[in-house]
Amino acid sequence: MFRSSNVAARIFERQIRTPAPGTSVHCARLFYENLVPSHTIYDIECPDHSFRKFTEDGHYLISFSRNNQDLIVYRPRWPSFCCKEENCMHDLPQKAKRFDSFFTELYSVSLASNNELICKDFFLYLGSNHFGVFVTSTAPLHDAPSSGEAVPGIPSIDNITFHLLRLEDGDVLDKKVFHNDFINLSHNMGVFLYDDLLAIVSLRFQTIHILQIRDSGNLVDVRAIGKFCREDDELFLNSNAQYMPVSDQSQLHHSENHVETHAHQNQLYQNSSFLSGIKQRLLSFIFRAVWNQESDDILRVQSLKKKFYFHFQDYVDLIIWKVQFLDRHHLLIKFGSVDGGLLVSRNADQHHAFFAVYNMETTEIVAFYQNSAEELYLFFEMFCDHFHPQSRNSLHMNFISSHSNNIYAFEQLRGIKKKATFTQFVKKMLGSLPFSCQSQSPSPYFDQSLFRYDEKLISAIDRHRQSTDHPIKFITRRQPCTLKFKIKTGPEAGSADGRTKKISSFLFHPFLPLALSIQQTLFSQPSINIHFRK
Amino acid sequence: MGSILGDLPSFDPHNFSHFRPSDPSNPSKMTPTTYHPTHSRTVPPPDQVITTEAKNILIRNFYRRAEEKMRPKRAASEFLAQEPGCKQPRASMTTSDTP
Repeated sequence: MFRSSNVAARIFERQIRTPAPGTSVHCARLFYENLVPSHTIYDIECPDHSFRKFTEDGHYLISFSRNNQDLIVYRPRWPSFCCKEENCMHDLPQKAKRFDSFFTELYSVSLASNNELICKDFFLYLGSNHFGVFVTSTAPLHDAPSSGEAVPGIPSIDNITFHLLRLEDGDVLDKKVFHNDFINLSHNMGVFLYDDLLAIVSLRFQTIHILQIRDSGNLVDVRAIGKFCREDDELFLNSNAQYMPVSDQSQLHHSENHVETHAHQNQLYQNSSFLSGIKQRLLSFIFRAVWNQESDDILRVQSLKKKFYFHFQDYVDLIIWKVQFLDRHHLLIKFGSVDGGLLVSRNADQHHAFFAVYNMETTEIVAFYQNSAEELYLFFEMFCDHFHPQSRNSLHMNFISSHSNNIYAFEQLRGIKKKATFTQFVKKMLGSLPFSCQSQSPSPYFDQSLFRYDEKLISAIDRHRQSTDHPIKFITRRQPCTLKFKIKTGPEAGSADGRTKKISSFLFHPFLPLALSIQQTLFSQPSINIHFRK
Repeated sequence: MGSILGDLPSFDPHNFSHFRPSDPSNPSKMTPTTYHPTHSRTVPPPDQVITTEAKNILIRNFYRRAEEKMRPKRAASEFLAQEPGCKQPRASMTTSDTP
C-alpha cells in the first residue's frame, strides 16, 4: 500500500492517499512494520508473580501471586525519564530499567480462601464493562463417588467458584459456585464467553449452563441445557409424573438430591428410561437424517438398522466435551466418549468425536457431523473466522490472522494438507474445534501479512512453548524481507545450563510495541525480559 | 457578502466575486436534474423492507445442508407416475396466445 518503507515517507503518503474501502485498520497496521519492540531489558527485577496476560484493550496486566490466592492487576504505561544532559540519545538510565517504570500496580485482591486456589490458566475479559471473570477451586478428587446423575470416570471438585470482578477497582461483583462438579478450567477450555453470555460446561453432570453478565455486575442464569432443553421441561415432566411408572418417578424426584441409586452404577442411562433432553434431540436428528436418505421404506429400515440401531448404544453413551457459541442462539457442541473426554487433542484421532450445531431458542439440533466429515472441514476452511464469533464491542480481536483471512496462513494450511492423508488432516484440523475463546493475542506483531516468524517458537496463541537460546526473529513479509526485531527469552548471555528443560511464554500488549517474555525452568525463578520500542 | 457563512477570511478576496448566494426572497429558477424511470418493471413491492440477515454465513450453510438432507427423497415410483402430467402436447404451445 505504501511505496516506501520509511516511516516519514509513509506519513506523508498517508496524508494524500486514502486506503481502499474497508481496509483502514490494515493500513494503520502497516506502521507496525516501522515501530517494533526491538530493545530488550533482560532479566528485569520484578515482583514474584505469575503474569497471565494483557487484557484485549490493553488497559490491564493480570497476574496472580505465587501461592495462587491473590490477584494483582497492573496498568501498563510507558517509561518516561528526564536527563540533565543535552544529548540524551544513549542508553536508558538505570532508574528507567525497572518493572514499575512500565507497570503501575493498581491493587491486589485476595480471591481464594481456605483450601481454594485460583486457577491461573483461566481468565476471561468483558471489554465493554471492564469486567474480568476468574475461577477459584479446590483440588480435584479423582476417585469421586458416583452419585445419581454424575458420569462415572470424571473427577469431582468440591467447590468451583466463578468470580466476576470490576477491573477498574478490583471489586468482586458477583460469584457463582458449583459443587461436586467438574469443569475443564485450563486455558478457558470449559467456558466460552461471547458478548455478555457465558457458557459453562459441567462435564460431570453433562449440563451446559448459560449465564448472562449484566451491566450491573450480576451473573444471571439464563438456561441449563442437558437434562432439559426448554425452561419448562422440568415442570412439564413433574406435573405429568403421576402417569409415569413408579421407578421412573423416584428417579425424577431423587435426581436433584444426588442420592446414590442401588444397582447398575456402570451404565448411567440404564437407570432411567428417559434419556436427557439434549440426547433425545440428537438421537431424533440422527434418526430423521438416516430415514430421509432413502426413499423406499424397506431400504429405510435396513439403513436404520445399519446406521442407527447398530450404533445406538454408542450414541447414547456420548458425552458433551466442549462447547462454543457460534452466535447468540447457536452452540457448537463436541461429543465424544467418556475416556476421551479429558485427553489432549493430540490423541484424539483414535477416539471418535462428533460435532453438533444446536439452536438454543428452538432447542433443535441443526447439524451433526463426525470429526472426519469433509463437509464440516470445508466450512472450517472457508469460514474459519465465523468459528471465532466476535462481539460487536471488541475491535482489535476482529483482525487476528487465520487461514480464512490471510493468504500466508492459508499457504501454511495447504502445506500441512500435503503432508498427511486427507482423513488424518481433516481430523487434525477439526480437532481444534470448538475453539476456546480469548486464547489468541490481538497484537499486530502476530499478523501474518506483516511479519514472518517461527510458529513453533512463538504465536498468537498463549501457550507455553519449548524455549530456545537463540532469539526468535520477526521478518517482514513485504519486499525487502528484512529482519525487524528479535525476541530473546532468558538472560542476555544465554543460560549456563543448556540441559535443563525451559519453557517460555509471551505476553504481547494488544497495540503498543511492548512485550514480556517469561522463561521458566523447573527449579529456579522465572526470568522476565521486557521488549519495547526505545 | 451577507451569506450565512459570514465574513470568513479567504486566500484571495477576488475569488467568488461573481457569486451571488441564494436569496430566500428570490428563489433560484434552476431545478436540479432529476431522473425518472421509463418503465415500472423493476419497481420493488410497496411493502418491501431490506434488513440484514441475522444468521451469519456459516450458520446459513449449516441450515441449508440440513434442509437438503432432511428433505424426504421421493421414491422412484412417484417420479414415474408424475411424468405424463408434466409433459405438454406440442400443439398447445404453438396455439397459446402470446402475452
